[in-house]
Order: sequence, then structure tokens, then C-alpha cells
Amino acid sequence: MKTLVLVWVALLALLAATAASSFVPLGGWNSAINLAISCAKALLVAIFFMHLRHAGALLRLVAVAALLWLGILFGLSSADFGARTISPAPWSLRY
Amino acid sequence: MATIPLASAEAGAERARLGMWLFLATEAMFFGPLFFGYVHSRLADSAAFASGSHHMHFWLGTINTAVLLTSSFTMAISVHGKERIRGTLGLTFVLGAAFLLIKGYEYGSEIPEVLAAKGAEQVFYLLYFAMTGLHAIHLLIGLGLVAWLFLSAHGRRAGTPVEIVGLYWHFVDAVWLFLYPMFYLLERYSA
Amino acid sequence: MLYAAAITTFFFVGGAAATLIRLELATPASDLVSAETYNKLFTIHGVIMVWFFLIPSIPAVLGNFLVPLMVGAKDMAFPRLNLASWYLYVLGGIFTVATLLAGGVDTGWTFYTPYSTMFSNGAVLLAVCGVFVVGFSSILTGLNIIVTVHRLRAPGLTWFRLPLFVWANYATSLILLLATPVLAMTLVLVALERFFYVGVFDPSRGGDPLLFQHLFWFYSHPAVYIMVLPAMGVASEIIPCFARRPVFGYRFMAYAILAIASIGFLVWGHHMFVSGQSLYAGLVFSLLSFLVAIPSAIKVFNWTATLYKGSITFSAPMLYALGFVGLFTIGGMTGLFLASIALDVHLTDTYFVIAHFHYIMVGGSVMCYLGGIHFWWPKISGRMYPEGWGRAGALLIFFGFNLTFFPQYLLGWLGMPRRYHEYPPELQLLNVFSSAGAVVLALGYLLPLGYLGWSLFFGRKAPDNPWGATGLEWQTASPPPKHNFRDIPEVHAGPYGYDPAR
Repeated sequence: MKTLVLVWVALLALLAATAASSFVPLGGWNSAINLAISCAKALLVAIFFMHLRHAGALLRLVAVAALLWLGILFGLSSADFGARTISPAPWSLRY
Repeated sequence: MATIPLASAEAGAERARLGMWLFLATEAMFFGPLFFGYVHSRLADSAAFASGSHHMHFWLGTINTAVLLTSSFTMAISVHGKERIRGTLGLTFVLGAAFLLIKGYEYGSEIPEVLAAKGAEQVFYLLYFAMTGLHAIHLLIGLGLVAWLFLSAHGRRAGTPVEIVGLYWHFVDAVWLFLYPMFYLLERYSA
Repeated sequence: MLYAAAITTFFFVGGAAATLIRLELATPASDLVSAETYNKLFTIHGVIMVWFFLIPSIPAVLGNFLVPLMVGAKDMAFPRLNLASWYLYVLGGIFTVATLLAGGVDTGWTFYTPYSTMFSNGAVLLAVCGVFVVGFSSILTGLNIIVTVHRLRAPGLTWFRLPLFVWANYATSLILLLATPVLAMTLVLVALERFFYVGVFDPSRGGDPLLFQHLFWFYSHPAVYIMVLPAMGVASEIIPCFARRPVFGYRFMAYAILAIASIGFLVWGHHMFVSGQSLYAGLVFSLLSFLVAIPSAIKVFNWTATLYKGSITFSAPMLYALGFVGLFTIGGMTGLFLASIALDVHLTDTYFVIAHFHYIMVGGSVMCYLGGIHFWWPKISGRMYPEGWGRAGALLIFFGFNLTFFPQYLLGWLGMPRRYHEYPPELQLLNVFSSAGAVVLALGYLLPLGYLGWSLFFGRKAPDNPWGATGLEWQTASPPPKHNFRDIPEVHAGPYGYDPAR
């Protein structure tokens, strides 16, 4: 019970941090900070609220597998987009 | 791995738990293309995304995030509790409904700006409505489940159904934790 | 059983479309159907065969029945979810039939953007709804199988005592769970883009059509393994039984199944070599595609090694399984051609590709689906099918199949592109072979429908274990009682305890 309250307070604190950080111009770091804080919050929710802390290996594996596969989707697709030479057609400069 | 006897209640709970986690894994993959579409489209035209983001209601979004986090907290207490969990379940329902009401108000106020949008900003809005809308549909289902727990005998003491619904509720909450900075917090300093 | 009926119906709808396509292609000119109708025919053929037959066929029909039997469980982990999954399948089917009635779609089964979102006049939204709904049906089936395998195994049945059919269905279910949702959401985006006229995938509106292709093939390449892995599982059950030998290299077979399932997720870019994706990504995808050949080859070698020095009975299921091994090998080898970028540039969108994936899907999945239906028919229906007819059907299908699709390799090599209803007259000879083969194949498929239906009512009563096979499903009555086993069995040894001497 006490842990749950602590986690809740931590979550709200992280929310305040991410909201406040967005008013400070840091360039690309803004997105990085937001992403990191979101991950931290999601981890807190998963580990404490969703009991992953006490869960068996199988449930943890399921939780990680989805993230891993999203990683594959993001990683290999970005491998294309990151390395592509874009040769725009005349009409695609319209908008 | 030890095989659990078929009939016991704990075996049923184990089955349900695994089933729910697997379902949440598919849900994560379900949201996946939207997240990737967002990353890709934003990298293609980040200025349009920032200007789209400036049309969002910063304070409403932030308050809503806090509301949803708190609803997760009350849900966790319900799962954790032994008896008399109806109070926290009811509170969870109220907070979830409040989130949807605020979101609905936001949607209503954004429509004129959406209609005026052009080019990549349209893509921003499409993704915004698709992702938050999908999230809202999930939350609506969650509200239905919590209402069912509240009204049925499961609301009297914590058990497997409460735990399973809780897992779903927390997952929907966790999705929002990513949506919030993606749509509300882009280059706030220059707004 | 509900699944079997519904899936058979769709198989014959899809098959009818295919027959029409081949009839049109019997002559170089456009005479039987118009260009537009032709486009709709190959679209509906693709959509129905992929999503309403190949993907659910083995996991939903045989898997739902056999997995609980093979792990010694009373039923699937979530019986009600199973029924819900069937209702979703039918609902998705209704959407698809409605698409037909509303005038059909002409996008091809791939729904490539921006054609599908901005230009096509067909009932794209309805078709997308159908695929979306049936996707959830597959997800629920997959979820059910995974939980059943994890939680309901009989005492003593450890992971490496599971029959390979269970392994294959388990791996398939993993793919279903991890890939299908991505397709579902991608199709939602297509629908939204079409409905609101906003271009996530349209380059003239700030979008990117390749984004669609990446997301689509992230599902649709693993989907190939959804279709072929269960077929491998079926072959791995039939071959040892009729060769009276244990499966060669059981553990490697199990590992190979998992390897195919996971590597299958890393290769989708080989569908996009000529789409304008970066050359570097193409190279990576090409290399990864070659990797899939390794576990596939292991499986083919091990099946062959299982046959070696076996005392082989050429019964109908065995004929199907042997046909599968041969056709899958040809299909797989030609896949290597397509995995090499340089060759693929020449062969993309030709009949070579068509022949390749029909060798894998029809020669692979359909052969094994039919083989499995014959093998477990006594267990499912409690009746024996007529063996002579069964063998005749298997041979007829094998012959008709090769006559249909082998000429297509040659056509593709000569450069005939897919999805055209006309072609130059010098290609007519091979096309006539192919169309004639399609007629033989259609007859071949009608044959089992006839005699299996007959045997349901007039067939000889089946004993509990007509093949002398190992495996828990043969230790209960035919058909099994309501809760599968009178007492939950205990397992003390691995599968495939066949003795070559007997």
C-alpha cells in the first residue's frame, strides 16, 4: 500500500518534470527527455501497478517480447528511411 | 516448469493472467504502426508537427494525464485491497469518465482548427485523432469493465477478475503516457 | 467443425475466382472477362485465399481440435473465446461477401497505397473491414493456442516431449499475435486516409507510400510462415507414422520451427527491392532472407532422413505429405532466386513470383491441410475415408498442381508480368498448359469434398488408432468424447516412439 502511494507521487512528479521541461528550449533533447520520462513512467506502472515485480519469467517475457518486436518494426524500417536517397518528383514539392 | 492441476482456482488465475498479458502484447503491436507512422511523419516535417502541437490545450492535456494516473492508482489499490473495494473502484470509474469528458471538450474545441489545417499538419491531426481516439475507445471499454465489476459480486472483494481488468486499465494508462508528450509538448517554449 | 465448414466454403469461392482467372488466360486476348472484372477477380482470389483460407486453415480447423488432444487437455484454455473467434471469422466473411455484392475491389490483395486510398473506385472500405475483423479472429485463436500449450499440458508432458505439430502451431500463434495487429492498424490507417482524404501514405500530401509497404509487409511476410509452419507440423506427424521411424533430429526440428518464426520477422524488405527503398536496407533484407533458408533446409533434410530406411506405406496422407516436401523444396529454392536483389529486379511482379508463392502456399499449406484432414479424419469424424479414392485424389492434385504452376515459372522467366488479363501470343502455349492444369486441380479438389462427405455417412466406422500412430490423440475414442479423455493421461516418453522393425 505504501509503495503504491510512493509510485503515484513519483508518477505525478515525473509528469510535472516532463511538462516543465517542454518550456525550456533544448533542441532535440526535448524529445529525448520526454521519451525517457514516458518510458520511466510506463515502467513504474508496469512494474508496480501491473505486478511485474512479482510476476514469473513467462509474463515478463511476454511483456518484453512485444517491445522487442516493436523494436524490430521500428529498427528495420528506419534502416530504410535513414539510408534512403530521396529524389523528389516535381509535383511532390507542391504542399 | 511445474504443471498445475487443472481444476484449482489458482490455475484459472494463471491462465487468465497469461491470456491478458498476451492480449496486451497484441495491443502494443496494434498501436505500433501508429507510433511508427508518427515518428516517420514527424521526421519528415517536424515544423508542421510543432505548429500542430501548439493548437493543443496544454493545461487540459496535463490535467488529464494526472487524472488518468490517479485512476490507475485507485485501480491498483482496488486490486491490492481485500474487502470493500467498491469505493476505489467507483473512484476509478469517475476519474476515467472525467478524462473522457475533458477529452471530448478538447475535441469539440479543436474542430475549426483541424478544418483549416493543410499538408503535413493534416497528417498530424489525423494521427492525433486516430491515436487519442483509439485510446479513448480503449478507455471506454475499460469503463464498461469497471462498471461491470462495480455492479457485480466481484466488486465486493478483490479477485482474479479485478486483477485482470486492472492489467488492462494500467496498459491503457501507459499508452497515454506516451501520447501526452507526443502531441502536447512539441516545442512548447516557442508557442 | 464449424470452422471446417466455413473455411471450405471460402476455399471454393476463392478457387472459383482462380479458375476464372486461368480460363481468361487460356487465350492471349481479353475475351472471357473485361480488364476491370479481371482485376476484381484476382483481388478477391487473393483476399479470400490468404485471410479466409490459408491463414486460418490448419491452426483453426486442425489446431483447435488437435492441440488440446495432443497436450492431453480437456479443451482449449478459453473455450468461449474460441467460439467468439469463429463468430468473428464469419462476420469478417460477411463483410467480404458484401464487398463482392457491392461491386468488388480491384486493388489486389495487398491494398497498395496511394491507389487503394486515393484512386480505386472499388469497395475498399468494406474489404478492409472484412480483413480487419478476421484478423481479430486469428489473434484470438493464436492466444488460445499459446495459453493452452503453456498451461494445460498433461502431467509429464515437458516441452521436448510435445509433438512437432504442437510446436508448429505454437510458433504460428506467436506470429499471429505479434504480426496481425500491425496489419489491422495499417488497414485502419488506409481506411482513415481514404475516408478523410488526408495523406499519411500519399506523397503529394506530405505522406510516404513506402511507409504503408513497410507496415504491410511487416505483417504479410510473417503471414507466409503463419501459413506454412502448421503445414510443416502436419508433415512432421504424418511422415514418421507412415515411415515407422521416429522423426530424425527432433530437437533440431523444434528449434528450426522457432528459428523460422523469428527470422521470418526480419525479412519483409525483400518484397520492396524495386520499390525505392534504400539500397543498404535492401542488402540487409536480402542477407536476412537467405538466412531463412537454413532452418527450412534443416527441416527438409530431417524429413528425408526420417524416410531413410523406413518401412514406408504410401497411404493418402503420406502421399500428400511427400508431395508437400517436394513442392516446398522447389518453392523454397526458387525463393532464393527472389531473395537475391539482382535477380529479383528482373523477376519482380512476373509469373515467377506467382509460381514461387503458389508452390509454397498451395504446394505447401494446401497439400498438408488436405493431408492432415485425411490423417485425422478417422479421429475427427469417427469414420474411415475410402483409401483408393484418397490416393487417386492426392495424385490428381499433385499432377494438376504441377501442370498449373510449373509453366508459370517459365512464363515469369520469359518476362510475363502478373496481374494482366492479356499477353503476347507467343506465350500462349505455356498459358494453355497452366489453364489446363487449373481445371485438373479444380477437379482434384472436388474429389475429396465428394468422398469425404460420402464417408461421413457411409464410411466404415474408425477404430481408435487406425494408423498405429503414437501421440495422445490416438489414445482416446474416435471421435473423442466431450472432454477428450476419460482420465487425463500421463506422459513418460517423448513423441514418435515408432519402432522400425514393426
